[in-house]
Amino acid sequence: MSIKVGTRIHYLKLVVREFIVIIQLNRMAKAGFCIFMTILLLAILADYIAPYNPYERVGPPLSPPSQNYLLGTNDVGQDILSELIYGARTSLLIGFIAAIAGTFIGVLIGLVSGYYGGFVDEVLMRLTDACLSIPTLLFTIFLVALTSRMTLFPAICSIIIVISLTSWPGIARLVRSRVLSIKEAPYIESAIAMGASSTRIIFRHILPNIAPIVIVALVMTTARAILVEVSLGFLGLGDPTVKSWGMMIHYAVKRNAIILGMWWWFIPPGILISLLTLSIYLVGMGLEEYYNPRLRYV
Amino acid sequence: MKRFLLRRLYTSITTFFIVITFVFFAVRLTGDPLAELEDDPRITPEVVDRIKSLFGLDKPVYVQYINYLVNVFGGELGYSLHYKRPVIDVICSKLPYTLLLLIPSITLSNYIAYKLGVECGWRRRSTFDLVVSSTAIIIRSIPYFWLAILFLYIFSVQLKITPLFGAISPGKGGFSLSLGWIMDYLWHYILPFTVLTFRASLALIPYVRSSLIEVLGEDYVVVAHAKGVPIRAIKYKYVARNAFLSIATIMGLRYAFLIDGAILTETIFSYPGTGRMVYEAIINRDYWLLQGVIIILTLSVIIVNFIIDLIYALLDPRVKYR
Repeated sequence: MSIKVGTRIHYLKLVVREFIVIIQLNRMAKAGFCIFMTILLLAILADYIAPYNPYERVGPPLSPPSQNYLLGTNDVGQDILSELIYGARTSLLIGFIAAIAGTFIGVLIGLVSGYYGGFVDEVLMRLTDACLSIPTLLFTIFLVALTSRMTLFPAICSIIIVISLTSWPGIARLVRSRVLSIKEAPYIESAIAMGASSTRIIFRHILPNIAPIVIVALVMTTARAILVEVSLGFLGLGDPTVKSWGMMIHYAVKRNAIILGMWWWFIPPGILISLLTLSIYLVGMGLEEYYNPRLRYV
Repeated sequence: MKRFLLRRLYTSITTFFIVITFVFFAVRLTGDPLAELEDDPRITPEVVDRIKSLFGLDKPVYVQYINYLVNVFGGELGYSLHYKRPVIDVICSKLPYTLLLLIPSITLSNYIAYKLGVECGWRRRSTFDLVVSSTAIIIRSIPYFWLAILFLYIFSVQLKITPLFGAISPGKGGFSLSLGWIMDYLWHYILPFTVLTFRASLALIPYVRSSLIEVLGEDYVVVAHAKGVPIRAIKYKYVARNAFLSIATIMGLRYAFLIDGAILTETIFSYPGTGRMVYEAIINRDYWLLQGVIIILTLSVIIVNFIIDLIYALLDPRVKYR
């Protein structure tokens, strides 16, 4: 690895510039990016935007929307609007860290499996197939429920670890199939002939060529990780010490908000979850269309 | 065909082994199964030791693992602490509800997705495609449970045309083939089934569509147009046929996604299937039940995928050489 730091920064600038071009050119990606930035700003500026502290009892429990509490209060008298704004932090944080870790695992397994082939490939692909054919959410639930027995680290950490451990198989498959075709390219042959080491070939010659699909996979995985995170929260497996959209709906359902018709408690979190996932999917699909123009989503 | 069958059987069995091995170690590595008993001041250490030797927990890990394998293959999945019954009995009493929900749902949703996806790909960038594809993208972003909540809120709470919970009205009793019972069952069935099928089919459409578009540009399609093959024949016999290979790969994986959907949907509708049981097992901290459900549901995934692959191999012989 003898790339100078200056060159690396140059590469990074190119990547950012390309991203901006894609966002500008693709209407879908533009719309997605705008929604996403709004929710991100909401999460970052939560301390200034939220009308109340979401962890404190600020009004009578279960009050309907009013001037003081725009979306009413929950069963312990916390302001629902403030809960919503703070909940954005949890989803974004868990979604991003889990997706980055999951993509990293997937890319690594895909690269090794595709490049080395043979026995290593067979073992890794059997493992990948097994993970692909099992219901992801079911196993995530199982692992989170088990790790919640351990008090080693906070619940939010174990949720991130478990989601990243269950989100890599699709990426590994994708990366592997691309590596298999790139491996046959003449320039790889010449690199081998010139005595390049395996690590050099993998990271210097193959990795840059699969970068587009890795970026798309990272974006799509983020959206899926967020959906898994809210589903866990909904089932009551979220971190009880932080506000999250999934947990809000969990408590709403538990206190019969649906049957009592308290729509302000369970409808807004759902809309925000859907908007956030939708915005990330839109950006991902915009990127995918840019890298693979034959594919047109809409 | 024989080689394909053996290959498929081999992958199914390794998958099952990987899963049950994983479950075994996940349970052992994350905590002591008797921790709650050991913390209980009313239970003396001698009793804990007796329980340990009774369940073979004092033996080395590999002996425990072999015992576990023998038990799993013998259908012995432990004892549910909440239901006070063997896990396998509890699961078997609830599994029919879930399978009756999932198998029609996967069949119908695959069919709908295939028909609509082919139509969208064929008439891409038309108004029809625009409407269906955008709906598919939006629905894919909505979590299963929230979609179920919306349906429940609209149809059961606001419009009051469907029941609020359960698979059977209270007082209707157990399974019978009388018309009243079946109508009552279907009345409860319609909402969870619609939610599952609706989201599953819409989530699949973009994949079918892009697989179709990949084929549209092929030379043989242009040739077929040039020599005057009827449009309908080109659509289904030339294009959809050849796109089927990649579509089949994705459809094979859908059942596992549907199980995830069933867990969430059944929880919302209080539907007494295995999905709802997962939720209850978490709430009651009934880990043996949770472990049993996972083994049984994964087994059902493996069997269903095997059958689906077999059907596809019969429909399209190329699947065999994938």
